[in-house]
Amino acid sequence: MNSHNDYDLYQAIAEKIQAGRTIAMATIVSTKGSVPRGVGAKMLIDPGEDLVGTVGGGCGEGEVIEAALEVIKTGEPQMVRVDLTEDLLSLSPAVCGGTMEIFVEAIGE
Amino acid sequence: MTDPGNKPLTVVEATAEVLDARQARHPMALIVGVSGAQELVGKRVVVRQARGGIKHLVGSFGDPDLDAGALALGTQRLEERRASTKGVYELKSASGSTVQVYVEAHYPQPDLVIVGAGHIAQPLCSMGALMGFRVIVVDDRPDFATQERFPEADRVVRVDFRDPFADIPIHSTSYIVLVTRGHKYDFECLRHLLKTEVEPPYLGMIGSRRRIRAAFSQLQGEGLPKDRLSRVRAPVGLDIGAETPVEIAVAVAAEIVLQWRGGTGKPMAEQERILERFFKDSEL
Repeated sequence: MNSHNDYDLYQAIAEKIQAGRTIAMATIVSTKGSVPRGVGAKMLIDPGEDLVGTVGGGCGEGEVIEAALEVIKTGEPQMVRVDLTEDLLSLSPAVCGGTMEIFVEAIGE
Repeated sequence: MTDPGNKPLTVVEATAEVLDARQARHPMALIVGVSGAQELVGKRVVVRQARGGIKHLVGSFGDPDLDAGALALGTQRLEERRASTKGVYELKSASGSTVQVYVEAHYPQPDLVIVGAGHIAQPLCSMGALMGFRVIVVDDRPDFATQERFPEADRVVRVDFRDPFADIPIHSTSYIVLVTRGHKYDFECLRHLLKTEVEPPYLGMIGSRRRIRAAFSQLQGEGLPKDRLSRVRAPVGLDIGAETPVEIAVAVAAEIVLQWRGGTGKPMAEQERILERFFKDSEL
């Protein structure tokens, strides 16, 4: 069950490649504490086009998108550490209480 | 076994491996370098599992120790057969450098085989499909075993309960629920399933205490292995006080998730006891 939920995401990668897009893929590779999505959750970032999938909604996704744009520019993969432990009691919906490591890499020419 | 190419897979190749394995219903593990030795970051290899369980590496990190480590890691993850919270592991190369790799196992979509096409089967079929199972519903009654009654089912099959699984392959990803209209049919099906070469990961049977006791006593008398009998979920489902067919389907679906993910089946609040553990009496 775990894996086939990201089946569509792999399908989407294949389609983006087919369409000749240069995109970035973000994958949660490890987590600690309360985080919105688990290891393996993915998001494709196609600048100016769309986002496919999610690595946690408001929780740190801004940082990931920023890193994605840079990774597409430089071609160098990055590990983004998202810390969601601050302001645990704030009313922001983006607060979750854990940390996650997200691997961001470019796909395509 | 290392690919003669001696090179890591491109993202295009690795994506094709994931999609092909899915199509062929073969398990596979994807291994990606994520930190450490710079030249390996973003590089991929795949561990494929062929029929018969034999695993081999596709692509190469270009180092015998790393490739052996990757194959061992992929093999281990494929054999665990359940979702893992840990994704990153360390591999050491022959020259002593290290690389952290992210491992992602992909299994074929599991089957939910519902034997009996009655009032519990209908909501259970919907829930199974929602959870991502390939649902197969079987019954011997042509009026019940219809696609119209089970729109989300992958297959609805009319079978003879004397040999119910002649046409339904049972494998290591088959979750099976016996909910036929009569206990004797459930019993016949259970007897068949206790003799399959591959033991399904989940086998549940509905029934009263008295009938299940009689069934177990008979099957044990027939010399069926006690350890396999002991893993039969009968009566089927978690104890949530279910009464209606839909509630019973929820109880069964919950037990299936429990088996798949390896939970405790206890209420989260009882497990965590946050008030009790983190607040002094004076704070309450």
